[in-house]
Amino acid sequence: MSTLQTAVRRETGTLLEIEDLATHFATPGGVVRAVDGVTFSLDHGQRLGIVGESGCGKTILSRSIMGLLPRRNVIRKGSVLFEGTELTTMSLKDRQKIWGAEMAMIFQDPMTSLNPVMKIGKQLAEPLRIHLGSTRENAQEIVLKLLQDVGIPEPEKRLEQYAHELSGGMRQRIMIAMALACGPSVLFADEPTTALDVTVQAQILDLIEDQCREREMALVLVTHDLGVVAGHTDQIIVMYAGKIVEIAPTATLFSKMKMPYTEALFQSIPKLADPSHTRLTTIGGRPPNLVAPPDGCSFSPRCPYATDTCTKVEPELQQAEPGHLFACHYPVGSDRWNEVQVSLGRRSGGH
Amino acid sequence: MSDGWVRTITLTDTATPDPSYDQPTQPRFRRRGRITIWVSSAWLLFIVFSAVGASFLPYVNHSCDQFENENLCTTHVETNPLLAERPPSWALFSETTRPIVGDAPERFGLFGTDTNGYDLFSRTMFGARNSLLIGALSILFGILIGGILGLVAGYMGKRVDKVIDTIMNIFLAFPALLLAIFIVGFFDSSTTTEAKSRSIAPIVIALVILSIPPIARLVRANTIVFAQREFVLAARGLGAKNGRIIVREILPNVMPAMVTFAITGMAILVVAEGALAYLGLSVTAPTPTWGAMIFGGQTKLETAWWISIMPSIILFVTVLAINLLGDALSEKFRIREAIG
Repeated sequence: MSTLQTAVRRETGTLLEIEDLATHFATPGGVVRAVDGVTFSLDHGQRLGIVGESGCGKTILSRSIMGLLPRRNVIRKGSVLFEGTELTTMSLKDRQKIWGAEMAMIFQDPMTSLNPVMKIGKQLAEPLRIHLGSTRENAQEIVLKLLQDVGIPEPEKRLEQYAHELSGGMRQRIMIAMALACGPSVLFADEPTTALDVTVQAQILDLIEDQCREREMALVLVTHDLGVVAGHTDQIIVMYAGKIVEIAPTATLFSKMKMPYTEALFQSIPKLADPSHTRLTTIGGRPPNLVAPPDGCSFSPRCPYATDTCTKVEPELQQAEPGHLFACHYPVGSDRWNEVQVSLGRRSGGH
Repeated sequence: MSDGWVRTITLTDTATPDPSYDQPTQPRFRRRGRITIWVSSAWLLFIVFSAVGASFLPYVNHSCDQFENENLCTTHVETNPLLAERPPSWALFSETTRPIVGDAPERFGLFGTDTNGYDLFSRTMFGARNSLLIGALSILFGILIGGILGLVAGYMGKRVDKVIDTIMNIFLAFPALLLAIFIVGFFDSSTTTEAKSRSIAPIVIALVILSIPPIARLVRANTIVFAQREFVLAARGLGAKNGRIIVREILPNVMPAMVTFAITGMAILVVAEGALAYLGLSVTAPTPTWGAMIFGGQTKLETAWWISIMPSIILFVTVLAINLLGDALSEKFRIREAIG
């Protein structure tokens, strides 16, 4: 038993601790509060989903955690502890040692995230050469292994090919292989399947999940698609206007969501049971202007349950049950919620 | 069984191929493009071959001034007015001549002779040597320095970019020719000991300085575009340092634009050398360059037009060939982006 435990490279425990992280951009139009006071932690091997509409700060959050954002005109606050080491104050040189080796990132569009003029084999060997000082010959073997791991047929042939010779799904597999090359302990996947079609999406998500399990790697899956996070994460963070509005284990979130925003997101998913030509449910309005977010709850202008309290007092994150936090004055299931449901005709008076 | 069945299907499928699918019709300009490439390459090959091998080819080196022993020179004919300024014979090596010095035969072929009685064709081929050397050296250093400046400015941005861009703008604001005259003059006076014999160095320096700003701007613009691409962010996310990103990620992407610009730029610089020479600011007398030859013949334009015109034609055709080849190559070099 004990030998088994030592063979496992990473134990359980906290891997990432993010506290009150904020990233504001100073623009000519004012300060954009892209990420505004985000606190959460990520355990070893845990798979976390971050969901929200476009422009909610999901991407900026993941890049802020890695420290990949340009430093010009950026106001950063809060702390990011990676295995107990503070990342926000770390020098660029030290962070470069962590990037790729300990934290890796894959991007939305595999069309643009591969260098068009570098052969696949050479590109895959880059992280190995950067971090492990491998020579071209040494790297070759690992690269072939990586390509097999991510399920690419005829890996020898791919080494000599360029990105434009591969399909979208294949390119995303290459990106994943690159990210996995040095065995990072956490993988940030920023909308990894958005540019791919649905069947390939499922394959890529399964691949990411398999690799996470095999390598005991934590995963931060950023997406706007609740269907994507549903089957592939342990915990979900719902973001709105740069803030966390709900955080819960995946199963809990789907069964007992508290935040009306989560509910609205959930209702926007087209259902197979609906008759044909059912109008898709949408969330009216747009995400708020992050330069001047509304007073009180930032979702209040679009929320059917909002009252005067909502537009004045900003709700704090409160606990529904251990591990399930939400920020709302009138959560799903509250009296006000029931009242509005009745008036909307969604529910009869006494349940 | 089922395997065989599948195979039959695929076979019948390929048995009647759709011709329009298998052989996409080539656009007409493709073919013309290929001819352009061949003709341009052939001409440039001939000029380069002549320039490199001028001493070994049946051309006559007329730069007698450089020989200490006059007997080594086969054709010092300044004193023989009969041979000077003969019109082109339009025959390659017509033996219509008699020995001038010693027994070496002089050929007054193709392009006639100049004021000194030198064979213009031979002299033009020797001129190719200097003209092309100046052009190639200038663009080489120009690309090197301008490329580095452009990459650094485009990638680093901020203050570095501002400083470099401002300096480039200042250089671009000067009238190019005036700047070149200043530079040649400056480097000339600093080596006044041999004012009579100007080497190619000051001309190359002047042309390099002229070529740096446009190259730097082109490379900077391209670098900015590529630096914002996701694969650069991906490389950063994998821990690549700035130097590595510039050299391995951005440079290969900027290279095609640089190379095609270099080819066209060389053509421009060969002409620029001609312009400098026309103002009497190029390599001095005994060493021929095309510009110097055109300049040398301008006073005789009425009586002996060929002295200026023949090297002009060669210069024109060569520059045209370089440009056409540059265009064709830029077409070829277009980076295949991953689309769809």
